[in-house]
Amino acid sequence: MFSSLFQQLKSEESIGKKLEVLFYDRSFRKLMVQLVFSCLMIVFFFYLISRALGLELGFGHLGSRAGFGISHAFLIEYTSNDSRWQAYFVGIINTIRVSFIGILLATILGVLMGLARLSKNFLISRISAGYVEFIRNTPLLIQIIFWQLVLLQLPKISEALTFGGFSVWSNRGILLPFINSVENGSLWFLILLVSLIVTLFIRSYLNKYREENVNFFSPNFISLGFFLIITLISYFLLGKNLYADVPSLEVNQYGTYIQSGGFLLSPEFSAILFALVLYTGTFITEIVRGSIQSLPKGQTEAAQALGLSSYQRITLIILPQALRSIIPPLTNQYLNLTKNSSLSVAIAYPDVFMVSRTIMNNAGHALPMLFLILLTFLGLSLFISMFMNFLNRRVTRIGA
Amino acid sequence: MTQVINWVKENLLATKVDVFLTIFGAYFIYFIFSMFFTFVFTSDWTLIEVNRKILLVGLFPEEDLWRVWSIFFLFSILLSSTISLVYGFQIRTSIFYVSMLLIPFLIFTTTNMLFHVMLLIFLSLLSYISIFYIKKTSFKFILSRIIIVSWVIFIPFLFLVLVLAGGPKVTLWGGFFVNLILAVIAILAGFPLGVVFALGRASSYKTVKLVSVVFIETFRGAPLIAWLFFAWFVLPNFLPDLFSLSDINLVIRAMIVLSLFSSAYVAEVVRGGLQSIPKGQKEAATALGLNTYLELIFITLPQAIRIVIPAIVSTFIAIFKDTSLVFILGITDLLRIGRLIPEQQQEFYGKSIEVLLIVALLFWVVSIILSQISRSIEKRLNVSQ
Repeated sequence: MFSSLFQQLKSEESIGKKLEVLFYDRSFRKLMVQLVFSCLMIVFFFYLISRALGLELGFGHLGSRAGFGISHAFLIEYTSNDSRWQAYFVGIINTIRVSFIGILLATILGVLMGLARLSKNFLISRISAGYVEFIRNTPLLIQIIFWQLVLLQLPKISEALTFGGFSVWSNRGILLPFINSVENGSLWFLILLVSLIVTLFIRSYLNKYREENVNFFSPNFISLGFFLIITLISYFLLGKNLYADVPSLEVNQYGTYIQSGGFLLSPEFSAILFALVLYTGTFITEIVRGSIQSLPKGQTEAAQALGLSSYQRITLIILPQALRSIIPPLTNQYLNLTKNSSLSVAIAYPDVFMVSRTIMNNAGHALPMLFLILLTFLGLSLFISMFMNFLNRRVTRIGA
Repeated sequence: MTQVINWVKENLLATKVDVFLTIFGAYFIYFIFSMFFTFVFTSDWTLIEVNRKILLVGLFPEEDLWRVWSIFFLFSILLSSTISLVYGFQIRTSIFYVSMLLIPFLIFTTTNMLFHVMLLIFLSLLSYISIFYIKKTSFKFILSRIIIVSWVIFIPFLFLVLVLAGGPKVTLWGGFFVNLILAVIAILAGFPLGVVFALGRASSYKTVKLVSVVFIETFRGAPLIAWLFFAWFVLPNFLPDLFSLSDINLVIRAMIVLSLFSSAYVAEVVRGGLQSIPKGQKEAATALGLNTYLELIFITLPQAIRIVIPAIVSTFIAIFKDTSLVFILGITDLLRIGRLIPEQQQEFYGKSIEVLLIVALLFWVVSIILSQISRSIEKRLNVSQ
């Protein structure tokens, strides 16, 4: 690499000339700059390490008894006698739960509002514009607290709104009717999942097959039929284990109200979910609007000329093309939503950050805990980006 | 009249679906507005009148308020001259800014404040218009240099005004003032830092690139609230012991972390701008005999930043809104004070939603003005391209 440089150095006589050659040699200078820079960085790094050594380090304390309760344990059983690791995992699951539902709802809301923004109907497009301008420009934290305050304004449990016995709305939360399973339920869901994956494979295979044999049955119908048959057969074989879980409100002999059944949206969970969905929805609205507007106008006109209905125009022509430029910024919004879910610490919804904060308060070890949070969120972000990249590849491949 | 009917036919009742949507939309608007206005007109707003000063500046001593005002004067003069220099005088947008600023002004006005706000509007209009009517380009060039330098020395100046000659302690800072000052510092410090990291990430030096990537991705990887907790619990241990900085105030620590956080986001935005510059620009600069640094400073960077200004302003809006997160650290910012008033003043017990709406309104006004600025810059960019 430096052979020509050495030859040049040998040919020069005086030391000053040699230095000059060294100074003006590009690759040598590059190397020197990098060396100096890395030395500085290493010094800085060691400074940080030496400072960090004075702090409490290590994750050993996470193995001991947690000693605090968590109000929303989901999928994992948790009592205050479990370890702090267990508490942390409950927190992670809560974060994933609120982010997942939030991402789904925010996408639906954003796409609808984005389409509404471009609607020819004046009123509808104004509603969408107003929604974006008002919600996007206020801090998310204020919105979260606002929704919590609003939900706590709901009537007391003794005066709960029941909507004819279908659901119970009180300041303890919203109980929605839900479908629940008795036993073998998780097995049935597992079968559903497996058959869904198999169905998708069958569908893509049939789609390929159809390209060669045009007069073949619609792959969508065949795969849907396959999925439904498997679902129904396994449902009856496993002994009809589903029932409609309608919430109920009763008074026991001591005069206390007991709500049971249904799917409970607690005030904290609903507040964080509403705020996240509404807030992220505005950004998705803008993304969808921008992408659709950037499509050439000829696409809409051609679709109209072909006589497609407005629904067909949107689902078959506009959205598939817009998706290509929607997905990359959408990924960013999904990541933001996941990170923003940590704001639930303000209203005590026990997500991963709230749990870590409790652990930090109880046991110190702030630096390792923050490092763990960083790793957790990096992991979640990586997972979301991987999934969205996969989706993006599919979408762009269909177009090509 | 026929025009109106035609407009209604075309925009509201074009198809059957449209008729349904119009009815639905009208009901929805009626529902929201009736709820909102019933709330606004039935609730008692005296708590805002009583707590004006606390909401705006917290426990900042009355006799030191001139410090705050002088900072605002300087800031608004600088801002309006920059706007005037960069994108000229537009009556429609100016009317928009003034009318938006009037909303909180109507709520928070007192005689003392009336005087100061009038002075502020007068000064900024003066600088705006005087710079707009300078036609000579050489003056404009010198002026732009002066403005850039003043932005650079703004942060030290701000601290000097606030702290020097017996200023109040940092613990007495509060209210909306803290949010604004946190945002301004995070933006002013975060922007140059972000440009540096963006250049570092685009650099051909592998070590520089590695360090920049690690910095950017670490700060973007965790939520801001985690970094604020870092500032709260851990950061003092990493600061050097000079000037007994280790017991530095929480507000200052939040400033440091917010600046670093915003710089990571700005870096990503600027990187996008750098990538969008066509290669021919660089080659042309090399052909003209500019070396790498001159080419970067005079050719690539100005163009890249110009393209991404709207995105940078969006980042700034996000950072401004995120300053409300210091609430969780217990800093007495606007949101914290808004939460404390109904808890601590007995006569206003349980009026949380009212205060929260006012707090949201203040944030909303500033953000909507910023987003309007970003939008008109974007429009101008689209026109000039």
